[in-house]
Amino acid sequence: MQNTTIVETHGLTKRYGSGVLAVDSVDMSVRRGEVYGFLGPNGAGKTTTLRMLVGLIRPTSGTATVAGHTPGSPAGLAKIGSLIESPGFYPYLSGRENLKVIADLASVDQKRVEEVLDIVELRSRAGRKFGTYSTGMKQRLGVAAALLKDPELLILDEPSNGLDPQGMAEMRKLIKDIGQGDRTVLLSSHLLGEIEQICDRVGVISNGHLVQQSTVQELVGEEGVLVRAQPIDQAQELLTRMFGPAAISRQDGTVHIKTSPENTADINRQLVGAGVGVSELRPYEKSLEEVFFQLTGEKQGS
Amino acid sequence: MIATIKAEWRKNHFRPVFLVSSGLIGAITVLVYALTWYQALHPVAGDRRAVSILTLYPDQFVNNVMGAAFPLGAAMAIVVGAIYAGSEFPWGTVKTMFTQGPGRLTVWAGRLVVFTLWMGIMTLVLFVIGAASSVVIVSFQSAAISWPAAVDVAKGIGAIWLIFAVNGTIGLALGVLIRQSAAALGIGLIYVLAVEVIAVRFIDSINSGAYKWVTDLFVNQNATALTQAFTSPVFGPSSQAVVGAEHAVLVLMAYGVGLAVVAAGLLRLRDVT
Repeated sequence: MQNTTIVETHGLTKRYGSGVLAVDSVDMSVRRGEVYGFLGPNGAGKTTTLRMLVGLIRPTSGTATVAGHTPGSPAGLAKIGSLIESPGFYPYLSGRENLKVIADLASVDQKRVEEVLDIVELRSRAGRKFGTYSTGMKQRLGVAAALLKDPELLILDEPSNGLDPQGMAEMRKLIKDIGQGDRTVLLSSHLLGEIEQICDRVGVISNGHLVQQSTVQELVGEEGVLVRAQPIDQAQELLTRMFGPAAISRQDGTVHIKTSPENTADINRQLVGAGVGVSELRPYEKSLEEVFFQLTGEKQGS
Repeated sequence: MIATIKAEWRKNHFRPVFLVSSGLIGAITVLVYALTWYQALHPVAGDRRAVSILTLYPDQFVNNVMGAAFPLGAAMAIVVGAIYAGSEFPWGTVKTMFTQGPGRLTVWAGRLVVFTLWMGIMTLVLFVIGAASSVVIVSFQSAAISWPAAVDVAKGIGAIWLIFAVNGTIGLALGVLIRQSAAALGIGLIYVLAVEVIAVRFIDSINSGAYKWVTDLFVNQNATALTQAFTSPVFGPSSQAVVGAEHAVLVLMAYGVGLAVVAAGLLRLRDVT
């Protein structure tokens, strides 16, 4: 069960009439039961990819299978709940009435409306018109609508967009909760912390290309040891002899060694024994942010 | 299909645009009756437009209501159609509707059914208020109430319902084509109130009306003809209709079906971005 895929794309491509290549040959695979993070900077092609998965946009080429069906087919859509970009509701209807409309359309029992309102903690304000909702309430109503069908696959496109820090934390908790059990969640975001905290596996998209797909751990890579010492060249020479040149890199006046943190004491002993002054020696792990910027070619702080 | 009709009805039965347009068409009917009544009671000597109060009695209400319904009611139907279809795009509700399960054409079909139903409700409001207004007048005049034959009332309702539905479909199709309501209703109104009128005059003037067959295919030429095509005295004295009732009904139905199919094609084939 865990290893079967619920979303599979091969060479999925979308070129708009204007010539813009929004998504380029994406091969993506989401496993059943996982929370999959779809990570990429703004304009990378995340939303276009997700729109293709729910059948709102037709791909220019390539294939996709979602919940065992062609994207957009009624049988497939019956198993998918989605919130694509901003939530789309009727402003003159209340939150509850909006959900009832969707329940009618999806042939879902009206009782389910109150259940999903409870899940997103919106029941007390469900009688208010959607047009009067705050951004956070709108997003939560969007998640409630996506949950109405009790879907096998939940596709959420940047659900934290426009939320304040409190709202973002609440949304993260909500997604964690609804991602428990057998349900698969495909979550797109450009917020690294959100992806790191919630997701089992991650796909990174940049300029329309899926540049990496792996677990968060695999993405962050091997752990290592960081050394700050004087003279740094002597320290690097010694460490290269100990671990080999492939394991050594130099960044911002420090030497990074791809090795187990268990070797920290031995490294310290060798450096001090060779007369090198060690001012900092500690295990390190690359942050998802570093990896993200490496993969997408974006500059940190830009 | 039943699911989409239920959903469309739920979201539209209290929709402001339908309630306001129904109220407005009712108010216009009352106003037309009130002004005509005043005119009939206060005739100006020598005025050739003098109105006989007898034309405001219940046996003539179908004729009066049809006068109020077209072209003002038809223009209102375009506005309602444009808002109904066009507003779904900026609200983002198109993507919500298209990702729930029923196919795009099923959603569209459900929407057409509910819209046509609302056009029927608007027509009934018009006729009920027209009938009530005529009863008020006849009561004040202490005259006997006599009603037109049921078949004439049914014919009138059918004609106006068709005219509202077809003009509404113009609004719907423009809303789908332009993907917003403001421009759609603007273009629809300009077409009905100006472009078609000018085009008909121009084409009919060419070569002593040699191309009149072209204008006989224009939507509101046929709508006008339909309102004038009834020969029963119930419908009052009417000018000579440019085409027959059967021709008018066929052309109007062709417009309604054709526009609905074009809009369905656009919804089916276009990306929802």
